[in-house]
Amino acid sequence: MKAMTKLAALAVVAAAGLAALGWAAGADRAALAKKQETLNAEYGLAKESKFYFVFDVQGRKIELRVRGMVLRTWPIESMRFWGRPDFSGSVELVKKTALKAPERIVIKPGETEAPAPSPAPAGTAAPAANAAEFQLEALELRDMPTRFGLDLDNGLHISIKSRTGDSPGLASRLRDAWRWYVGLPLRDLSASRKSQGLSELELVFADGKDPQSIYWHLFDGIKGIIL
Amino acid sequence: MIKRLLIAAAALAYLGFLAVLGSSYFLGLKQASAWPPPAKAVPEKDVPKVEKNVQQLERRMTALQPKGLYIVIDTAENRLTLMSGDKPVRTAVVSCGSGVVLEEPGGKKRSWVFDTPRGEFTVKSKITNPYWVKPDWAFIEEGEKIPKGMEDRIEAGTLGDYALGFGQGYFIHGTLYTRLLGRNVTHGCVRVGDDDLKYLYKAVPIGAKIYIY
Repeated sequence: MKAMTKLAALAVVAAAGLAALGWAAGADRAALAKKQETLNAEYGLAKESKFYFVFDVQGRKIELRVRGMVLRTWPIESMRFWGRPDFSGSVELVKKTALKAPERIVIKPGETEAPAPSPAPAGTAAPAANAAEFQLEALELRDMPTRFGLDLDNGLHISIKSRTGDSPGLASRLRDAWRWYVGLPLRDLSASRKSQGLSELELVFADGKDPQSIYWHLFDGIKGIIL
Repeated sequence: MIKRLLIAAAALAYLGFLAVLGSSYFLGLKQASAWPPPAKAVPEKDVPKVEKNVQQLERRMTALQPKGLYIVIDTAENRLTLMSGDKPVRTAVVSCGSGVVLEEPGGKKRSWVFDTPRGEFTVKSKITNPYWVKPDWAFIEEGEKIPKGMEDRIEAGTLGDYALGFGQGYFIHGTLYTRLLGRNVTHGCVRVGDDDLKYLYKAVPIGAKIYIY
């Protein structure tokens, strides 16, 4: 009887082991399929010499790449999502939307006067902090918005903001909360009834400069991959 | 009576709203539970073929990367990095395009956008003691008359000791405005400090890749 129990226990362990091996092999084969798909998509972009982005949702980062090289990485601190989850694959940035989009300064000689910075003798560079204080007639990183949206051609809308950027007022926070907890769920329900999809991602970055940098580097029409 | 009816109607409307919101949350949770969408596994018999294809793609991706030294310029941070493979060799604070638009007054109404071009370029020329052949916009910006003769356009000393051309009239060159390094102030060229420029000039060969983003 004891021997029978031992045998049964061994059989159960062996069956569990085989099942685990089978599951692991299946997972490996799924990972291999995903890797091939991603490499195929990236190679298609990388061979063209244009910049592209890779948004690794599970890895929580966005990367700007060219020729397969990573030029810039923006780590995502937190994210949340409403709607259809099938937004991965090759995408194109259709447009960026910001409440206060940066505008180029237009100089019309005779109508406006542009103050020309005076040259400093070579080798006598002022400290960097001092140089950073100049108010220039230029479009710089600091002029980029800290909160904006990205509309992708697969219908995904990504809201981008920073934790440390300009803190919005109470009204703005209430509007955001209403939009996220009431507006979007209702829109999602309505869209699913019409067999349309709604996909809304909100990404929060720890560094206040990261959203500005993303706004600067991801131009309209840039292609990318969502993993 | 009317008051009670109104209260009952309001309560019903509120409950209805909560029911709809509840259904949307139920749908949301259902959708969220489907993330990440499961990847389709490769059939067991195709595994060797797919593995070979993946290796080939990885080799192709590696082959796309530049060989030898190459330059990477971040126009937002105004940083230039000289790279060898994936290792930075030297980093420099530079000045890139201001993004300003200059409009010509009067009849012709031409306009220029002072952006540093973004993309992949190659070093096409290396020049010592370069002089600047001032284009039309330089005179228009200063409110001066555009000269007819070439000799009136030439300005020496403005571009520093060296210049690396990367096409369409754009250069990586020196500057008199060293205190503005790190800011977006140029008309599209990339200004570099004297020591970094000398290093770049000596190290970077013609044909080296430049990536400006």
